[in-house]
Amino acid sequence: MEHIVIKNATLGYQKSEPVLHDLNLEFYPGDFIGIVGLNGTGKSTLLKSLCGLLPLISGSINLDGISIEAFSLQALAKKISVVLTEKINGFNLTAFDVVASGQMPYTDAFNRLSKQHISIVESAIYQCGIKGHSHKLMSALSDGLFQKTIIAKALAQQTQVMLLDEPSAFLDYASKHDLFLLLKKLADRDEKCILVSSHDLDLLLKYCYKLLIIANGSAELISVKDAAENALFKKIGGGFI
Amino acid sequence: MAGDFIFSQIRFPKTITAIIAGATLAVSGLILQVIFRNPLAGPYVLGISSGASLAVALSTLAGNTFHLFSDFFVGKSFIVISAIVGGFLLTLLILLVSKRVNSNIVLLLIGLMFSQICGALQMALEYFSDPNSLKSFVIWGMGSLANTTNKDLLIFAPTAIFCLGALVLFVKPLNALLLGQNYAHNLGVDFNKNRFYLILISSVLTGLTTAFCGPIAFVGIAVPILSRMIFSSSKQQLHVLSSLLIGSIILLFSDAFCNSLIKNVSLPINMITTFIGAPLVIYLMFKNKQW
Repeated sequence: MEHIVIKNATLGYQKSEPVLHDLNLEFYPGDFIGIVGLNGTGKSTLLKSLCGLLPLISGSINLDGISIEAFSLQALAKKISVVLTEKINGFNLTAFDVVASGQMPYTDAFNRLSKQHISIVESAIYQCGIKGHSHKLMSALSDGLFQKTIIAKALAQQTQVMLLDEPSAFLDYASKHDLFLLLKKLADRDEKCILVSSHDLDLLLKYCYKLLIIANGSAELISVKDAAENALFKKIGGGFI
Repeated sequence: MAGDFIFSQIRFPKTITAIIAGATLAVSGLILQVIFRNPLAGPYVLGISSGASLAVALSTLAGNTFHLFSDFFVGKSFIVISAIVGGFLLTLLILLVSKRVNSNIVLLLIGLMFSQICGALQMALEYFSDPNSLKSFVIWGMGSLANTTNKDLLIFAPTAIFCLGALVLFVKPLNALLLGQNYAHNLGVDFNKNRFYLILISSVLTGLTTAFCGPIAFVGIAVPILSRMIFSSSKQQLHVLSSLLIGSIILLFSDAFCNSLIKNVSLPINMITTFIGAPLVIYLMFKNKQW
């Protein structure tokens, strides 16, 4: 069971002021955590640091007692998957191709898919509800289907930890709920640790178990039940709900 | 026998040259398109061929001055390595710029400007060179498959085969890079390391061919696009193989066409490759389709 410990971590980009200071947080299997905060306060920075895309300025992030910087890229790819806000299209890439790329950490040097790889990919496609669309080009998918495809890719990566950066942006109301129901199911049934950043506070309150509130260069982890009384949550927009 | 001579000393090296040049430029273009995630990238349109040309012009001038060409292999290797270095430096420059622009079209325009700058510098060099070198420069600059001798092929062919063969090691990175830097990283592929090696391979392929044949237009951009149009797959190992074949076939046919269009006249190869490549690029820009 993967267990993430962030200790005295300062995060940010090189050559500029640190974004988040002295974080001390712990995440557990089955956690479904909504990351909230105003624009530009460090939600993406935190997610990028967690998956090793952004080196830490100081402190440590441990996964099951081992620093994520000590993992090889391929080993880390089997532990943590990400859903970013970047677009993927062109080059004849179909939804199936993108989901299949989730198996890349497990395939041989020629990236050949065995029957077992394919059944994992197909199961991810089925669970994310994009079965009828998997043959379509990425550029031909609606925003909702595109987002589900990327989540299916992360699912096919078979990681205990899933990080999602604003997956509900640009989605219609029904697709947003669809998406959060799927994520909740993954956290409950597969004991995955899921961190999702979003501006849809109502969705986070409805589906997540915990909220990670990011403001003023630091972060506070609270239970969703306590959100209504939390001053910081009110300040970043919770007061309007 | 005159026929034997024409076959073994002229037709044979020219045919092999067409095959290698087509394959190397096409695969070089494919690599660039994947790295830039831009279907309109290619060694010629991004100015990389021009960078290699300028380096060849410089090294020829330096070689003549310092008498480097008395030994065939030393002289040729010197020119080939200069072309590779020139192409590599220009690719790095484009890469640096491409991080600051988001539009495919702007990237192409910048490539065009780079190639104009290299062209201008080359013109200055030509202005100061003696008439004999000037003529060979100008003819070489038009692009030609006919200047490669059997002896040249001893350098040209093994290097090209080695670089194309090295791509076997990069099947996974080429496929991962299609998803972009961050996703590739998250899938366990070291983006910076693989990009460096792939750019190196692409520069060697372009530089090598440019050193022997001069800058050849549009093969590098058009062939991978054609390959993706013909085979609706995203597997880059397939496109490496098919680009290699389509590139060779196109240059062979272009060469045959150039030689047979007007009796006893051999037209420049770039004329025909441009007639195939440029309209294809314009068409794709209008369609704005993601090949």
